[in-house]
Amino acid sequence: MGICRVVAVAVSAVVAACFSAATSASATEAQDIVNRSIDGFIRPGYHAFHQSTSALYEAGKALCAAPSQTALDAERAAFGKTVDAWSRIEIIRFGPVTEQNRLERILFWPDRKGTGLKQVLAALAGKDPTATDVAALARKSVAMQGLGALEFILHGTGSEALATGDAHRCAYGAAIAGNLDAIAAELETAWAAPDGFAKIWANPSAQNPRYRDGTEAVTELMDVFVTGTELVRDVRLGGFLGKDAAGDKPKQALFWRSGKTIDALAGNLAGMRDLLEASHLADALPAEATYMGKSALFELSNAADAARGVDGAIADVLADPDRRAKLVYFGLVTSSLSDIFGTQMSGALGLTAGFSSLDGD
Amino acid sequence: MVTDRRRMIDRRDFLKAAGAAFLSSLAPGAFAETLAADAVFATAYQRRDGAFGAAILSEAGKILHTVELPARGHDITFDPVSGRSVVFARQPGTFFVAFDPRGKTPPVTVQSIAGRHFFGHGVFSDDGALLHATENDFENAAGMVGVYDAQAGFARIGEFPTYGVGPHELLLLGDGRTIAVANGGIETHPDFGRAKLNLPTMKPSYALVDRLTGDLIEKHELPPELHQLSIRHMDTDATGVVWFGCQHEGPATERPALVGRAVRGRELELIEMPEPVLAGLRNYIGSVAANRDAGTIAVTSPQGNSFAVIEAASAKVVATRLLTEVCGVAPNHSGFLVTTGTGTVVEPDGHSRDDAEHVWDNHVLRIEP
Repeated sequence: MGICRVVAVAVSAVVAACFSAATSASATEAQDIVNRSIDGFIRPGYHAFHQSTSALYEAGKALCAAPSQTALDAERAAFGKTVDAWSRIEIIRFGPVTEQNRLERILFWPDRKGTGLKQVLAALAGKDPTATDVAALARKSVAMQGLGALEFILHGTGSEALATGDAHRCAYGAAIAGNLDAIAAELETAWAAPDGFAKIWANPSAQNPRYRDGTEAVTELMDVFVTGTELVRDVRLGGFLGKDAAGDKPKQALFWRSGKTIDALAGNLAGMRDLLEASHLADALPAEATYMGKSALFELSNAADAARGVDGAIADVLADPDRRAKLVYFGLVTSSLSDIFGTQMSGALGLTAGFSSLDGD
Repeated sequence: MVTDRRRMIDRRDFLKAAGAAFLSSLAPGAFAETLAADAVFATAYQRRDGAFGAAILSEAGKILHTVELPARGHDITFDPVSGRSVVFARQPGTFFVAFDPRGKTPPVTVQSIAGRHFFGHGVFSDDGALLHATENDFENAAGMVGVYDAQAGFARIGEFPTYGVGPHELLLLGDGRTIAVANGGIETHPDFGRAKLNLPTMKPSYALVDRLTGDLIEKHELPPELHQLSIRHMDTDATGVVWFGCQHEGPATERPALVGRAVRGRELELIEMPEPVLAGLRNYIGSVAANRDAGTIAVTSPQGNSFAVIEAASAKVVATRLLTEVCGVAPNHSGFLVTTGTGTVVEPDGHSRDDAEHVWDNHVLRIEP
């Protein structure tokens, strides 16, 4: 028997949902997969994100202390590295990041009504003193305390003034960096805690408040891939890439101001690849289905290659038929990945991957 | 109410879109015999090869009739006057399909108008003349009810607001005039798929709306600390009380009550459940159904792989079961028939049938003989 949920229900019927009836997978195997995910991807991922936010905060304070083009370039570079680190780990959308609106405080997007931009502009125009204080900022609207707001500070209209000295704008930017650094520290600590969420996820049992058995614990991991590919395709790429060039909306792209749009997309898929490898999830596949793990890695590489061929500001990319075609291909690959994770691999593992449960209605 | 140009795809276009012919898996004669004898059940499905559709099932979970859909469906509503069922696209889908399982009329596919999409739920007026569907006015993030003339090819003849964001299920109450709407509170926009755009500030509500005038009759919200508790599915018990099920969009470590009841003129009341039962529902109710004869309410949780049955009179949980990906639920005999996202149908007596070809979507509707 594999990692099976066998439950005697009220009458006499027995419902069995096996992680895989065809393999010799065990409850221990589910636990190993989860532990490898935590130690091999999640903890290092949040650690890297925290390091990037610390560097961002330092660079922000340095820019404010001694404004110069060099210091501004350094802060912008640190912002880019923070986006890169976040894009890898943001595929984890369960656990501590869901508490205290951390996900939205780090990145409130999409912001269809431009709420964040309006709030940022108002804070800049009114020289709002509370926007420059890390603790006070953390209590403000989620839209004005994360990466989206900081991108406007560093790359939006008026950002050049940071090189010659715009004390309030600079201090607001540094406060955002400090706020991100504080959230990143909380995330790293929460996942590192021996009695924290990691313990809950890695120790499924009938008494566990979140995961009754190995199947539920591994389903959480599978959902990362299923929802991750949907996020990249439907939300991030679909948000700006039209059915044809006339339907493109470059200013609806995440991070269009900083030119990090493609890097962020590539980072999401790179994160999925790292997690797939670190977890050894594919090792649990039955022998006749091991090719699925290879297919997934192959498609993740294809997507990475396509993304590498698409550099430049997103408006320029969309205006260039060759580079735009690469983006369309990138979208096709994510659809293929959705099928591999959501249908093929989930089916082979005996996980339903939530036809009715996943982000349901 | 404003009028809209009629928008329909003819059958040939629909079949092309669906990529396959309208299917009937039973000869019409055999189907008619089954229909005459027993209640049947209607549900949307996904075939294991990926295609979407809607099916009429027997009590034992046997497929009696299917219609293919161009994309994923959600809930089904039924008009006993014409004998037609309507299956709605899952949000942010842009079609519904009206079909007659007796095969007397071909299926009709209707598209949402520009600037709107469906949320997956709808209801007929008692006389079968009008169909009401929850819709998203997505540029304005405003919930709407679209009104369709069932006797004129489902021409869209008007709309009225739901007085909230992200409406989901709606019910026609016993007076035949009041529509109860669960405004889930979650803003979405089709440019961004199913992404939830306003979780930090969402504010769900329960609204009663006069379907003839579009006027708001009553609107109720949960306390501010429960603003992330999305009210989504409902059914009415034998006394006219509306039971609703919620989905919590806040952290999984929070454990708010998930089931409540609404009585006209009163504030919403949330029902307490024993801790292990509530925990087993994993902050997510996927479907709510009342068995009016038995005086019970069932709430299902596909995320929690469990469901609970509540006695309506006492508001106490009287039974729970674990069942992988359970979601669809409909009254049957003295209990409930449930369906799962793994393709299982379980009858009230515990008999179950696994379908090798299909998995069942979130809702199942009982259709009386």
